[in-house]
Amino acid sequence: MKAGTKMTAPIHALFVAVAILLAASGTVSADADRAVYVLQADGLACPFCAYGIEKQLGRIDGVEAVSTDIESGTVTVTMRPGGSLTEDRAKEAVDRAGFTMRGFKRKGD
Amino acid sequence: MWWSRIFESTGWTIPLVFILSAAATAAPQTFNTALPVAEGEFVFREQFLYRKASGDSSPADREVEVLGGISVLGYGVTGDFAAFAVLPYLDKELDLTTTGGARITRSTSGFGDARLFGRYTVYRDDAPGRTFRIAPFAGTEMPTGDDDDSDGQGTLPATLQLGSGSWDPFGGVVMTYQTLDYQIDAQASYKINTEANGFEFGDEAQLDASLQYRLRPRELGPGVPGFLYGVLEGNLRYRGKNEIGGIDDPNSGGTTLFLAPGLQYVTKRWIVEAIVQVPIVQDLNGDALEDDLTVRAGFRFNF
Repeated sequence: MKAGTKMTAPIHALFVAVAILLAASGTVSADADRAVYVLQADGLACPFCAYGIEKQLGRIDGVEAVSTDIESGTVTVTMRPGGSLTEDRAKEAVDRAGFTMRGFKRKGD
Repeated sequence: MWWSRIFESTGWTIPLVFILSAAATAAPQTFNTALPVAEGEFVFREQFLYRKASGDSSPADREVEVLGGISVLGYGVTGDFAAFAVLPYLDKELDLTTTGGARITRSTSGFGDARLFGRYTVYRDDAPGRTFRIAPFAGTEMPTGDDDDSDGQGTLPATLQLGSGSWDPFGGVVMTYQTLDYQIDAQASYKINTEANGFEFGDEAQLDASLQYRLRPRELGPGVPGFLYGVLEGNLRYRGKNEIGGIDDPNSGGTTLFLAPGLQYVTKRWIVEAIVQVPIVQDLNGDALEDDLTVRAGFRFNF
């Protein structure tokens, strides 16, 4: 029993190390693959209205997450790995929510 | 003579208290707004209502109380056009003194007249952190409420019935100016009441205004924090005289100015709110009942 315990401890540590490395590697890869867009939504001035914009943008294929900063009027759209968003598609979604998109840029560009 | 008259008219048009207080977006509590409902999205609002009217100088000494729940469903057909359905559930009670000196109560409860209307944004000026919109609206009140309810005394007076029995078109225009700090709404509306069962409510014209001021948070943080608004609304309401068998009822209609302080807490998904409407000026015809106060409280949510 004692010998068995001595044998499994280094193997266990090795598995943990490999798992951590794989996870770290995967995270870096996923972040790099995710496109993030920042939109300026004009006319947005209350919390209840922000929900409509987020829902419209969230319906677009490939969108993983949408978040709003109401003070700056910016909406951040994070895509799934490999996904992209066109300015026309974003503008259409904001218009469907009843607001006006003024700015559109990909984060990092 | 007055006995039959008071059974015909309480001088106080109960079903009409719901006029256009049907906004389902973040908005005034006693009337509508020009703010949008997103395309393909629903918003729901429930407003609970208590209203009391008295001040009858006739021997009948009438008093009316209404408890109700008003359900509103809004749907964004496009970003600019929204459709609304309104269905009230009411519990109405009329207390009065008979010619024999007895104090009696007449009451009814159930669904009232439903309303359908559309609102279209004809002007929109959006800028960072603010918007200005103008939106006309039009619709009709449908005779879905019971209009021939009766009790042990006989058929209830038309003004106590849950529904008017008539199709009544209405329309108007609403304007909204909203910033991150405050919001101003104003509305003008008119409702044409038509005849049913030999009775016709007087037409109604209304001017409304509302100021909402953000009390909390004082400074906006990141994301979308909840807003606590202090609210002050005003309603100038004119009603023409009712007609009974084609003859004007001299004890109905008139002009009332309400002032209404309130609170509203707004988040991304839901709103809770409450407001008290107090009559400031009442210029009513004959023995028409005077409003004492109206309390409204409720919630709205996006889904």
